[in-house]
Amino acid sequence: MEFACIQVPWFGIAIARRENPRLEGRPVVVGGAPEEHAEVTACSAEAMAAGVAPGMSLRRALALCPGAVFLPLAASVIRAEAERLASLLRERSPVVEEVGEGHLHCEVRGLPALFGLGTAEYLAQLRESLAGATGLPVLAGGAATVFAAHAACSALGLGFAVAGDRGGPRSSIVVVPGREREFLALLPVEVLPVEPAMHQRLRLFGIERLGQVAALPLSALQAQFGPAGRRVWELANGRDASRLQPASAEARIAVEVELPGPAVSQAALLAGSEAALGRAFSDDALQGRAVRMATWWAGLEDGTRVTRRLAFREPTGDPRHALFVLRSRLETLRLPSPAVSVGVELRGMCSEYAHQQLLWSAGQGRRRELDEAIAQLHARAGEPQVFRIVEVQPWSRIPERQAALVAYGS
Amino acid sequence: MVAYPGAPGGARSLRFLNQPRGLAVEADEQGTPRAIAWQGRFRRVAAILERWRVDDEWWREEIARLYYEVELEGGRRLTVFRDLVAGGWFVQSYRAPALTREQRGGGGRSR
Repeated sequence: MEFACIQVPWFGIAIARRENPRLEGRPVVVGGAPEEHAEVTACSAEAMAAGVAPGMSLRRALALCPGAVFLPLAASVIRAEAERLASLLRERSPVVEEVGEGHLHCEVRGLPALFGLGTAEYLAQLRESLAGATGLPVLAGGAATVFAAHAACSALGLGFAVAGDRGGPRSSIVVVPGREREFLALLPVEVLPVEPAMHQRLRLFGIERLGQVAALPLSALQAQFGPAGRRVWELANGRDASRLQPASAEARIAVEVELPGPAVSQAALLAGSEAALGRAFSDDALQGRAVRMATWWAGLEDGTRVTRRLAFREPTGDPRHALFVLRSRLETLRLPSPAVSVGVELRGMCSEYAHQQLLWSAGQGRRRELDEAIAQLHARAGEPQVFRIVEVQPWSRIPERQAALVAYGS
Repeated sequence: MVAYPGAPGGARSLRFLNQPRGLAVEADEQGTPRAIAWQGRFRRVAAILERWRVDDEWWREEIARLYYEVELEGGRRLTVFRDLVAGGWFVQSYRAPALTREQRGGGGRSR
């Protein structure tokens, strides 16, 4: 087993059900209240069975499934949970690729042997540890190729009948090496990572299983679907040489300084913070660049931490400026017990911004300054805050189709 | 459901403006508005200035609306519409659609 696929089917719905177990088994639609003129962003299997689908209007979803529970879209919560799941997996695998929210691929080559476990046992333990830490219904698939692992896990998510050892539904599955083609042949075409429209077209042709795709002549699939046809033919035949593409981790610089003795005074905390900031800003990893944000903390005697998040008004590479911002935050700080250490973590690295006055015209400079200030604002808030009005369909007779807001800089 | 890894993720970054807002309307037997709940109380419709129907997008999720430009007692003007598919009354400012290039060339009119 080289690769594993981790999925939480209906991720947004699973989070909502974890927070409110009474939603279990009930049709759930995410996107807003049904009277809002907005679209369905996610829906449960029960709602899908009633004909609801992502992308349709909420009022149509209400008409199709009057008993559904309508929930607002908590995009930031879903994103935070997805990042938490990814970071948990990164603690367990050296290479992790995030395919979508609640859908990850990772390399597990050699890991079962490292823990002295069989592949199936290792994958089951990996799944259980993630499910235990998140409280979400995690599924896991493992195989020698990325696609076989993905297909095995997706088949579990689609409710494809794979008998469990104890007769119940299975949550993890390992494809026997060398028998990928045989395993894939039985799976539905929906496990193929292509546009949903292609799944529909394959079904219209009467092709429902990967075995049928594999049995077709390559030329026929290429003629009908182009390069995507070749790709699905290769995948259905167990030919997959793809490798994972992990997102590059954001560089962070963290420095912690031990205080000479337990301290509660602001002067002592600032002195320690100044030393920590000085060391952090002179770190080679910064290489003269500036940072957008910093996290400051004080380690207390009882082993706990008090943290403060600093988001600078504009990127800074100057520890004195960072200390100035920190000083204003510490003025109102009351520690519950004496601090024994202070530390800072710098993140959001970017090129330094200079304030040189232009000789003739400030037009271009102003524009850059504005772009930079908006980028900084977006970074502070974690989501777009400034928008432009664009005409989308000015000729439409439906007023709400004519214009829209688009995030500035996108 | 399996997420398509190559699916574009930016569609949600568009926030359409001028979304209709629901409101309470008293209508007569013909469906013509007689009073509209505006700023906390029902106000009598003093005059109906214009009325037009919009039917569109019948090929996917039909939109059929009957718009009224009304003047309330006190002189306030509003554009409201009755949703003929799902029912309900909504208020929405209406701007006549811009002419397409072909329409501009041929001198056609919208609305």
